[in-house]
Amino acid sequence: MSKQPKPPKPDELAKSIEYKTPETQWMETPVKFKPGMWCYGSRPKYLEEVGMPNPREWSPADDDWKLPENWKEIVLDGMKDRLGKYRTFKLFMDICVRCGACADKCHFYIGSGDPKNMPVLRAELMRSVYRKYFTTGGKLFGKTAGARELTEDVIKEWWYYYYQCTECRRCSVFCPYGIDTAEITIMGRELTNLLGLQTDWIGGPVANCYHKGNHLGLEPHTIQSNIEMMCDDIEEITGIRIEPTFNRKGAEILFVTPSGDLFGLPGIYTCMGYLMLFHELGLDYTWSTYASEGGNFGFFTSNEMAKRLHYKIYAEAKRLGVKWILGGECGHMWRLVHQYLNTWWGPPDFLEVPKSPITGTVFENAKSTKMVHVTEFTADLIKHGKIKLDPSRNDHLKITFHDSCNTSRGMGIFEEPRYIIKHVARHFYEMPENTIREKTFCCGSGSGLNAGENMELRMRGGFPRANAVRYVHEKYGVNMLANICAIDRAALPTLMQYWVPEVDVCGVHELVGNALVMTGEKKRTMDLRLEPLPGMEDEEEEE
Amino acid sequence: MPVLEYGKTKVNVDDEGYLVNFDDWNEDVARALAEKEGIEELTEEKMEILRFIREYYRKFNYFPILNAICHHVNQPNNCVTTQFVSPVVAWKLAGLPKPDDMIINILQGETPD
Repeated sequence: MSKQPKPPKPDELAKSIEYKTPETQWMETPVKFKPGMWCYGSRPKYLEEVGMPNPREWSPADDDWKLPENWKEIVLDGMKDRLGKYRTFKLFMDICVRCGACADKCHFYIGSGDPKNMPVLRAELMRSVYRKYFTTGGKLFGKTAGARELTEDVIKEWWYYYYQCTECRRCSVFCPYGIDTAEITIMGRELTNLLGLQTDWIGGPVANCYHKGNHLGLEPHTIQSNIEMMCDDIEEITGIRIEPTFNRKGAEILFVTPSGDLFGLPGIYTCMGYLMLFHELGLDYTWSTYASEGGNFGFFTSNEMAKRLHYKIYAEAKRLGVKWILGGECGHMWRLVHQYLNTWWGPPDFLEVPKSPITGTVFENAKSTKMVHVTEFTADLIKHGKIKLDPSRNDHLKITFHDSCNTSRGMGIFEEPRYIIKHVARHFYEMPENTIREKTFCCGSGSGLNAGENMELRMRGGFPRANAVRYVHEKYGVNMLANICAIDRAALPTLMQYWVPEVDVCGVHELVGNALVMTGEKKRTMDLRLEPLPGMEDEEEEE
Repeated sequence: MPVLEYGKTKVNVDDEGYLVNFDDWNEDVARALAEKEGIEELTEEKMEILRFIREYYRKFNYFPILNAICHHVNQPNNCVTTQFVSPVVAWKLAGLPKPDDMIINILQGETPD
């Protein structure tokens, strides 16, 4: 595999962005694979492990992609099948009037200046093929009707650009027709996956998740050990020993979070926050070492793969006999729960409508999924005064909040995390209005793009988000970027180090863990990162 | 297959210099791997970290949480990055096979400069 270069220095990269009209029409502009802008092809073993087609060694940098002989037939049949199966796909192929409202809303277009990253044109890459083979106008009038032949170069172009879209759906917010361009990217990925054109970064986690239950490939005893290590740290900080349970039948609640929270930094601090909160509440809950992943990279592969990987969460809830499921700070997990689950299987009838055992609140909004987002759960606790908080412990932080694309645009969680932050900390500042809530800018690395080899792409795509962070950093001295997504916690630290190195990244429940006053705890002198809590050492000296 | 030599020690490594057989590791091998990475001396602090990583990996088939390493060897927080710059270098010197890209990314979180 050819090694990809590192991106240029931030100021050079910023200067390189140009919004110029191309010299040739888009159909006459061949795709050029720029270094640092694409991911490696999947190793065959990952495809074999989950039975996906055409496993082989291949590189996107090669001329020959080793496609199956009848590749064209496979793609066109796949397209026909999906046009029949998914009404949205058919609709979105037909209705765009090319008004251009979406054009400058995409973070990849803003950060790259490449016209094919305008959502309208990215979709046109597929619409042109749709017209050629599935519409009378396209069949008769060809190019005049905006239609073109499906060739290997078209497949390469699809692949290059459908992996330069994070399926964040910001463009859809501005589309007067409500076209969900992410669905077109999803279809682009489904169709190219029929030819074995998976990326390594997505293929690995999918295979891991299928075998071991989580993207990182953590085995059951390792999950338990990692959580116990976090409990060691909590004991050092608070003097309280937490003993969570694993795979416990008969628990009231199953807790599921992305596996990044069980291993990565700063994910584990968020996880420590959950552990502390649930312990303090005396919550009757259990972890599962089988349903050990909230995220679902299958979603970046195909609908069927997403379904396969998602099923284990509910299968485990049934096996353990829990009443309902509480889910951690994750992004695309919630899009699947909120927007796909019921279409796949209908509401799970073996679970109860979630009811907080602490406040008695019935989560009517989760009636059909039986799964509550942890920020909904915690915001409800605070609203009812059920937890004691000392926000001064977060006084050294000036916090802003990044809405994750999936939880904001995918399920409308805007207020809960903000409500929590405002109660666990005293310095909160919003980024500009057009960069938050439903108009939030993507981290630039979602939907399986947070690899190492496409770093330039990630830094370009994350530029608008970073720019808004820089604005509040310069204006208010913001030094912490809070979020509720594990991909954000993995991707944003790199993005911040590149564009705004003064700003660190944390999950919302890390802030909760810091502020939470626990029964019988010792005086806090350290935060969850085992760093001294500013101000707290001085008080000790005075005493 | 590339061979790594250090004094009388000879072991097989892969194309990127990761040890092929986990059990070929000993402290001399670690020193040889370190030399390749431009680390001149493997101090006792460094060696302690490597021993713990190996012990953990043998049992859990995984790399330990970074904080936990420092905790267990009684060294200050961030001991792995202080001693080895990148946790992936510690991974390599401990004789573990090359990690998946996802793990490398999560461990390094490095600035693309």
